[in-house]
Amino acid sequence: MNSLDADLVIRLNGLSGNIAIFDDLMRFVASDYLMPLIFSLCMLALWFSGRSPAERAKYQLATLVGISALALSNIAVWLINITWERPRPFIDHGDQLNLLFYPPTDPSFPANPVAIGFAAAAAAWSVNRKFGWWMFAAASLYGFSRLYAGVFYPTDIVGGAIVGVAVFGFTSYLRRFLEPLVTTFVRLMRGLSAA
Amino acid sequence: MNTDPLAVRDVFASHYFLLAFLASLGTTQVAVSISGARGLWLTPHRTVTRWLGIALIVTGFLIFFAQPLWIEGPWAAGSVEADSVSREWGQADWGDLSGARNVNDIHGGLDGTKQAIWFPLSAVLAFAISALFGALNLRVFKTAVGPAERLGLDEEDAGGLTGLARRSYFSNLPVSWRLFTSEVGEIWRTGLASADRWSVFRVIFGRSGE
Repeated sequence: MNSLDADLVIRLNGLSGNIAIFDDLMRFVASDYLMPLIFSLCMLALWFSGRSPAERAKYQLATLVGISALALSNIAVWLINITWERPRPFIDHGDQLNLLFYPPTDPSFPANPVAIGFAAAAAAWSVNRKFGWWMFAAASLYGFSRLYAGVFYPTDIVGGAIVGVAVFGFTSYLRRFLEPLVTTFVRLMRGLSAA
Repeated sequence: MNTDPLAVRDVFASHYFLLAFLASLGTTQVAVSISGARGLWLTPHRTVTRWLGIALIVTGFLIFFAQPLWIEGPWAAGSVEADSVSREWGQADWGDLSGARNVNDIHGGLDGTKQAIWFPLSAVLAFAISALFGALNLRVFKTAVGPAERLGLDEEDAGGLTGLARRSYFSNLPVSWRLFTSEVGEIWRTGLASADRWSVFRVIFGRSGE
């Protein structure tokens, strides 16, 4: 499994250096500031974009669950990291990789950026399938860019996606134990003309 | 050159805030043009508001990622290899641009926590700007017909974003707040009655909330 994982990252990363513009594009996509902000903006859009009061309330509850899932994903990734410190691919296979991104110092598994992307996408998908699929595509592209850049193994990406979706499911389940506080919070925001 | 991570962080924080503000403002405009909350529109026209929103988002990202071309910072010299000790302070050239912003948080880039602080602040500022310009808009273009009418909503009773379809934020706020204070007790009681039996609040307050 490990050798297949390493083989895949070496092959994919091996494509870099051939088309400069594609490498540049992947560097932009892999940035810490592009996709994470896009995921946050999607949550903001979800909050405001419902066309009717009922649809808005549904979207706003999903946004709150999504934001909570983002935070909990970070905790879940951290818990896995302290249990298993998997080295990054450039540590073990540095001589075979063309690193396109700065070398992160935290463990490789699971991919934290992918986990938060998939958690946000799952929140959007739960109330708006079309929007959710676009977000899943964006989160997958983000994962691919980090893989292409040589900072994650494929299993890190898959693991991050599973963690993100699972944490969203767990957070949705958790919401029932916090009702009616969550619904009342949305109504409070409506009272402040912000929902 | 030894680049102080704190100096790098200051540069990143101010640039990120500008990006997050422009992108949040743009996103808010696109979203409220969909929901019809006219009281938050920057322009009197739905389509113009939506395209302005898209333009603001694109401008925010363009400025952020192109800034290294004209602003001095820790961009230079092959961002992949450089750390806070070897990274050169200066302007990036076109060749470095795609990697210029890729700075590890231990060398002054913004980590997730800092982004999670700056983003909500910028979103709140974007909302405030939208409310201010929306109020000016409604004052200047008094004859505009909002989506509330088309949806057949009772605008007198509508608070929140629904009320913003016809009212400015400032005239909608007292209506929304009055509605909230009159309904909050009922919302809580109904919520408790229908909540999961293991809901923390139901366990504490009981089913009736009394």
